[in-house]
Amino acid sequence: MPTEVILPKVDMDMTSGRIVTWHVAEGAVVSQGAPLFDIETDKAAMEVESPASGRVHHQAALGIEVAIGTVVAWIYAEGEAVGPPPEHVTEKPVPRTSTADAPRQIAVPHTDLQKPRATPAARKAARDLGLDLATVSGTGPRGRVMRGDVGPISGLNAESGTLAVIRDGGTRGVPLVLLHGLAGDRYGWEPLMAELPSSQPVIRVELPNHGTSARMRADGFSDVLRQLRNTFDTLDCGPVHLVGHSLGGALALGLSDTRPRQVARLTLLAPSGLGPEVNGPALDGLIGATRAESLGPWLKALVADPDLMTPSFVEAAMRLRQDASLRAAQAQMAAVLFPDGTQAMDLTSALDRLEMPTRIIWGRRDRIVPWKHALRAPGRVSLNLFDNVGHLPHIEAAAAVARFLMPADQEVLSGD
Amino acid sequence: MNIAVVDSGLRELSYAEAIREAMDIALATDPRVVLMGEDIGVYGGAFQVTGDLIDKYGPDRVMDTPISELGGAGVAVGAALTGLRPIFEFQFSDFATLAMEQIVNQAAKLRYMLGGAVSVPLVMRFPAGSGTGAAAQHSQSLEAWFGHVPGLKVVQPSTPQDAKGLLLAALDDPDPVMIFEHKLLYKMRGPVPEGAYWVPLDKAEVRRTGTDVTVVATGIMVHKALEAAEVLAGEGIAAEVIDLRSIRPLDRDTVLASVRKTGRLTCVYEAVKTLGIGAEVSAMVAESDAFDYLDAPIVRLGGADSPIPYNPDLERAVVPQVPDIIAAVRDQARGAL
Repeated sequence: MPTEVILPKVDMDMTSGRIVTWHVAEGAVVSQGAPLFDIETDKAAMEVESPASGRVHHQAALGIEVAIGTVVAWIYAEGEAVGPPPEHVTEKPVPRTSTADAPRQIAVPHTDLQKPRATPAARKAARDLGLDLATVSGTGPRGRVMRGDVGPISGLNAESGTLAVIRDGGTRGVPLVLLHGLAGDRYGWEPLMAELPSSQPVIRVELPNHGTSARMRADGFSDVLRQLRNTFDTLDCGPVHLVGHSLGGALALGLSDTRPRQVARLTLLAPSGLGPEVNGPALDGLIGATRAESLGPWLKALVADPDLMTPSFVEAAMRLRQDASLRAAQAQMAAVLFPDGTQAMDLTSALDRLEMPTRIIWGRRDRIVPWKHALRAPGRVSLNLFDNVGHLPHIEAAAAVARFLMPADQEVLSGD
Repeated sequence: MNIAVVDSGLRELSYAEAIREAMDIALATDPRVVLMGEDIGVYGGAFQVTGDLIDKYGPDRVMDTPISELGGAGVAVGAALTGLRPIFEFQFSDFATLAMEQIVNQAAKLRYMLGGAVSVPLVMRFPAGSGTGAAAQHSQSLEAWFGHVPGLKVVQPSTPQDAKGLLLAALDDPDPVMIFEHKLLYKMRGPVPEGAYWVPLDKAEVRRTGTDVTVVATGIMVHKALEAAEVLAGEGIAAEVIDLRSIRPLDRDTVLASVRKTGRLTCVYEAVKTLGIGAEVSAMVAESDAFDYLDAPIVRLGGADSPIPYNPDLERAVVPQVPDIIAAVRDQARGAL
């Protein structure tokens, strides 16, 4: 039986592509891993490697739009009889592209001849919703449709969707999903967003007990992560570039670990979860402050240059924290997540496991979480340490951080 | 019946002490109760569970039996059949192989063979499991064998509190109850209520609640699963740990309710994985309406298809350990399977 060659999915928006070059002529010999053809999508051209060694036959025509998953050639073993093109019956591993930036999981679409690979939970959800599973693109291993791929999980967890989600910018490109830290909210991202092109899609999610998100009792890190994951699963925006600051960084790590195929890129700003030390008094002070006079000194401890925290900024920050129930809920959350001034969560092994491009950005003058926790990162993680920056790199070095968040081509545009 | 706590004070006993206390209460309150087994008298039992009970109750009620498991078990079955409430101890559960005729063909069948005219209120205790360097003939986990026999009840206490309450409940049961005690648990300490109380023979216990993965564990694996769950919680994965407690009958409701909630099932048991308790639990889920809630392949972690090795490193390697559980549950929660 010859090996089928299918058109792979090489970028996340892609549904079809055109073959623009065959590197191997019809009937010629190719080795596994050698360049076989180039495809072109709306956005990019990619080289695709041969999934097997042998002679290439039944090549698809150049320049014609084909759906991903379509068989574009067959590779016959040496000596194997070449007849008419075989039926496309079996599911085969999808050839990996040579592009480092392509999503790790390549979705395998379903054809009429194959039953969709799906979990029982996904099948039941599709039945209940009257949905044809073949129309759902699976994010699980080998294209398996998981429960979350079929639609938002409602009823299973009544609390889902209770976190505030604020969408800005355009709709094209990989959205940035921003997760703030303890005692933060949506407004903390505004200096950074001012440095991003207005077309960049940005989704801010407010953590439980923060901003306008629901107040709920948190019994531990996994509890908070679950709330966040429930909301994340309903965003319905394809793979994202996830950005987390401080506690939001630890949550971003946990989220990337449990939703690895939905996170294309991860950026952590002074994240927690990479070591035990944390400035407990500062957390208590920030959360407990009831007036500008007591909040100000702790806000200054967040940054390298205290002059950033002008009296009017402090007043504005205090106005957002007037609600005593919000302060009490955050204090309860802090007591669970950072008991006795210690980071109770440990995401170091998650960081070791992750495979998506990951960057850690930290200020060397951080007085809340020691920047040296960043040194635990494995070699594949990019590390950017800023000299005169404290715990808020996205505010203190907003322009520089914004540049790290933009893909190279858009970075050029943003300079216009 | 739920645990009737007479005194919930903070008193702690070891698992072995809790079993001894249950036997002490039974001997003191029910003249029909007798203990039987090899070296349980003056020697105090192979694992010192019986201890000095012979001093208190004398050799007529704490009886050393000859080195013949078949003979001893036969006497125990006969005694139960004719009005006593014997508690028979095997030195090692492995030696039950010698008494299978009495357990499987007699104790389990007599009520049925005689049309319900008799019952066999027999309790048997089996020190089981690996980890003591006792090698292949003294380290097995054979509980699933007995779980395959209609007519028997089979329980595996994982805590001192359950060890006492399940033994007292077993004595109250009109039919034969097999209690598998993991040898490494005998020294484990935990809170044990004073006085008599009964833990139901057919109820699993949720030891830790969680939303992401259901971990069904038995015996000593409950503790390993709880340790794994603690580590996973720090990574944001909430595992629900169910202590199965009874493998015959199985507490279907507790397991299915949990799987409906989490959509993921990992079974952890020390006995050989093949044809084991995890297969039964997995099949029970797959055959039920909880099947529709599964969002990942089921995972079984069990003993290797190997006799228990003498070499301590290999002995550890052939049964599931905490890192194995962490890795399996994490992969399930991440959708990586």
